Amino acid sequence: MKHIRNFSIIAHIDHGKSTLADRLIHFCGGLSEREMEEQVLDSMDIERERGITIKAQTAALHYKAKDGQVYNLNLIDTPGHVDFSYEVSRSLAACEGALLVVDASQGVEAQTVANCYTALDLDVEVVPVLNKIDLPAADPENARGEIEDVIGVDASEAILCSAKTGLGVEEVLEAIVARVPPPQGEPDGPLKALIIDSWFDNYVGVVMLVRVVDGELKPKDRILLMSNGLQYPCDQVGVFTPRSVGRDALRAGEVGFVIAGIKEIEAAKVGDTITLANKPASAPLPGFKEIKPQVFAGLYPVESSEYDQLRDSLEKLRLNDSSLQFEPEVSQALGFGFRCGFLGLLHMDIVQERLEREFDMDLITTAPTVVYEVVLNDNSIIRIENPAKLPEPGKYQEIREPIITATIFLPQDYVGPVITLCNQKRGNQIDMRYHGRQVQLIYEMPMNEVVMDFFDRLKSVSRGYASLDYDFKEYRTADLVKLDLMVGGEKVDALSVIVHRASAQYRGRELAAKLRGLIPRQMFDVPVQAAIGAHIIARETIKALRKNVLAKCYGGDITRKKKLLEKQKEGKKRMKQVGNVEIPQEAFLAVLRTDEGK
Amino acid sequence: MTTRRIIPLTPATGAARALPLPERPQLEAPPPLSLYVHFPWCVKKCPYCDFNSHAPREGGIPEQAWLGAVLADLQHALPQVWGRRVHSVFIGGGTPSLMSATTLDGLLTGIRMLLPLDPLAEITLEANPGTVEAGRFRDYRAAGVNRLSLGIQSFDDAMLAKIGRIHGGEEARRAIEAARTHFERVNLDLMYALPGQTLDMALADLETAIGFGVQHLSCYHLTLEPNTPFAHDPPPLPDDDTAADMQEAIEARLAAAGFTHYETSAFARPHEQSRHNLNYWTFGDYLGLGPGAHGKLSSHEGIRREMRHKHPGRYLEGAARSDFIQEAREVSVAELPFEFMMNALRLTEGVPAKLFAARTGVPIEAITDELARARERGLLDTADGKLRPTLQGRRFLNELLQGFLKD
Repeated sequence: MKHIRNFSIIAHIDHGKSTLADRLIHFCGGLSEREMEEQVLDSMDIERERGITIKAQTAALHYKAKDGQVYNLNLIDTPGHVDFSYEVSRSLAACEGALLVVDASQGVEAQTVANCYTALDLDVEVVPVLNKIDLPAADPENARGEIEDVIGVDASEAILCSAKTGLGVEEVLEAIVARVPPPQGEPDGPLKALIIDSWFDNYVGVVMLVRVVDGELKPKDRILLMSNGLQYPCDQVGVFTPRSVGRDALRAGEVGFVIAGIKEIEAAKVGDTITLANKPASAPLPGFKEIKPQVFAGLYPVESSEYDQLRDSLEKLRLNDSSLQFEPEVSQALGFGFRCGFLGLLHMDIVQERLEREFDMDLITTAPTVVYEVVLNDNSIIRIENPAKLPEPGKYQEIREPIITATIFLPQDYVGPVITLCNQKRGNQIDMRYHGRQVQLIYEMPMNEVVMDFFDRLKSVSRGYASLDYDFKEYRTADLVKLDLMVGGEKVDALSVIVHRASAQYRGRELAAKLRGLIPRQMFDVPVQAAIGAHIIARETIKALRKNVLAKCYGGDITRKKKLLEKQKEGKKRMKQVGNVEIPQEAFLAVLRTDEGK
Repeated sequence: MTTRRIIPLTPATGAARALPLPERPQLEAPPPLSLYVHFPWCVKKCPYCDFNSHAPREGGIPEQAWLGAVLADLQHALPQVWGRRVHSVFIGGGTPSLMSATTLDGLLTGIRMLLPLDPLAEITLEANPGTVEAGRFRDYRAAGVNRLSLGIQSFDDAMLAKIGRIHGGEEARRAIEAARTHFERVNLDLMYALPGQTLDMALADLETAIGFGVQHLSCYHLTLEPNTPFAHDPPPLPDDDTAADMQEAIEARLAAAGFTHYETSAFARPHEQSRHNLNYWTFGDYLGLGPGAHGKLSSHEGIRREMRHKHPGRYLEGAARSDFIQEAREVSVAELPFEFMMNALRLTEGVPAKLFAARTGVPIEAITDELARARERGLLDTADGKLRPTLQGRRFLNELLQGFLKD
């Protein structure tokens, strides 16, 4: 065990984590030059394009250190986004050390700080690495100062490297050997293995990436998952180099994969503890949590005939993504679709994009919403994931909304506009600290306001320099109302939103005006109204079209005019009927795309 | 002998079930027949025009070749219309008034020789005010043309220039005077919602037109047709509301002047409707001769649509070997209701409901559901044994017609 080092890399998006990982694998000969695809750990197309690692992966490396000894270095990759903070915490829990990679030209970002705190909480040794020092804008001294100031880690021995050029990579490996402690554990104790990640493979079923803490795990052992009591016979164990290589056993301190004929990804939950059925551990490893979706949205096929295809696609995605939830939903305006639950906005974006890209789906997505708690008149509490399902006013006592603690890092030049934005979003400032040129703002904010368009606006007011991390804090009573939109007197369920009473008037007017501009004129006047309950707060009118006639119908040749009418009619098929008003899909898409402030 | 009648227990009222469509149309008698002749050349093509018209090549218009080809075309088509009397002839274009009186005389003489042409047949010729010579109008009349249709469009020089017409306001006036001198029946085509036109300007054009005392006016809303220069590079047009205001004002003014608004764009003094066009709108038959001409002919076999070779060169070249037809097809039973309605519901007074079965060979019970839906939407009136668009149905004729398109 003393020749094992388990480590992760903590870094902000674009600070070079994947490039560094590639370098380390390459240096240790994990893959030949020919097999070396760029950024091998990010295996999905979307990840490669966005530079975000979605599923944690791992590589077991052999490194011959300068002391002449060969070490087994297990690199455990971590997802790099706020939505996946639980997965990050489980990856870190499986390590003794973590490389804190900071872009020497940009300094510390909010996400890095949050993950670094998680690492420190888990007693993981943090080794600062200043990356991209080949860039002319690199300012290692300043970055070092920020690490010490913001995170409170000694950065005097921070390693300078450039993953791009390969400079300093060997020093990084040496530091891992020297500074990351070897794993502790009881090789002979009852098996305790932490599930770091799990995914579905079409041939072997669920593959679990585990860190064995105590004991050992061999094929043919009967394993027990401690959170749900399910038992499976272990088929195979092995490690990733990053190719998968079978082993006769995984022993205490090691990281590798386990295949046990599991068919449902839900059974193998990240953070759960694996033990042996015939010799179970007395208690699971700490830190297991059931993760719940925090953001919900309705997903509808643009072509209603593609409903079955959408369901199949979602089912396929869930094979690999246990945090994705969905259930059928019917909207009178959008037809049949699914209400889907996501860990956060990025998760939602990724799912949407994968559906569109990998499954070739055309989707309409309703405005994302958080989960509200509604206290009914009989004191029972229901959870509302869809604004259309909020009971009518008078049928409940109060609505509680999720509040988050948001940590924002930004250069001080943008403090003014960011504070203004946070105030607009009903934020409550908790703390503001200066760390050199960086400012750390801590706000309590309704999550509802964050899912609306906060990320986009934060980016735009800070020219992309601000970074955000958030944590759920609590549910808090708020003066919230459901804002309905009505077209021709009929409620358009898909457009209902829950908003704070103070902003209802503004939002209502804005939405009604927008919708008026998007719905084509019809044969009759169409009122567009925004309402809270029975109370109309905004009204616009789409004036009736005066005529729709072909002036000249040259008697002889009817074919062209016929085609024109057929085209008009075809166009209507793609419209959604609300009452007797035809609303084009584009109107829904445009309304659901919030673009205030742009 | 007595036959026992079985009286059904359930009343026959309520929603009648629609009959299935027959396999093919079952016509009891052929409808009236008209003749359309297309003259495809213009001095210059207008930027809004999507008709089959061509500026002539060097060497001028091959009038003689055209006349020979059209008559050969007619001769070749005779078996399809054997023994049927022709009720009207329309010579359209292009600009048929570019044709010499001699050619026209040759054409009408040829038609009379080959077909039983009703002695009272309406024979209309389209004329462009930019090509008018008074002497020619007299000769056209002498050849047998008894109705002249003038493409005036506007009397406003600036408007005419904007829509690329070759004539000006003064020429338009002179052409109408000449036409009135030689023809008892004259139609003027006017256009409104022209680029930069105001309501007052449109009404001024209309006032001028009324002042000439013609029997028939066609007022068209300028529309941008695909594959025209205007569609590629649209001029700034009056908005929809202004155009609708113009239409309503035009309708009101013409009603006051004693014109009946009998079709979407057509207005006539009493008994002065275009008989030829009425035949289209009542789903009659027509034989189309000349480049790109469309025809519709009914027989016991069904209803057939055909189009002559569109390009003049191709048409003239094929005539020698009796190759006239570019496309021909049977209209399917499923398409007939829409095709009938597309014509019939343009008429303000609609048509007798029984005309539907008579002209399409499809029982009207086959479209019970479509009729009911159109009625519910307030677009169609079926009272008094008629199929008649309501005012709303006339304004939203496209909506009404779409209801008869098969899915």
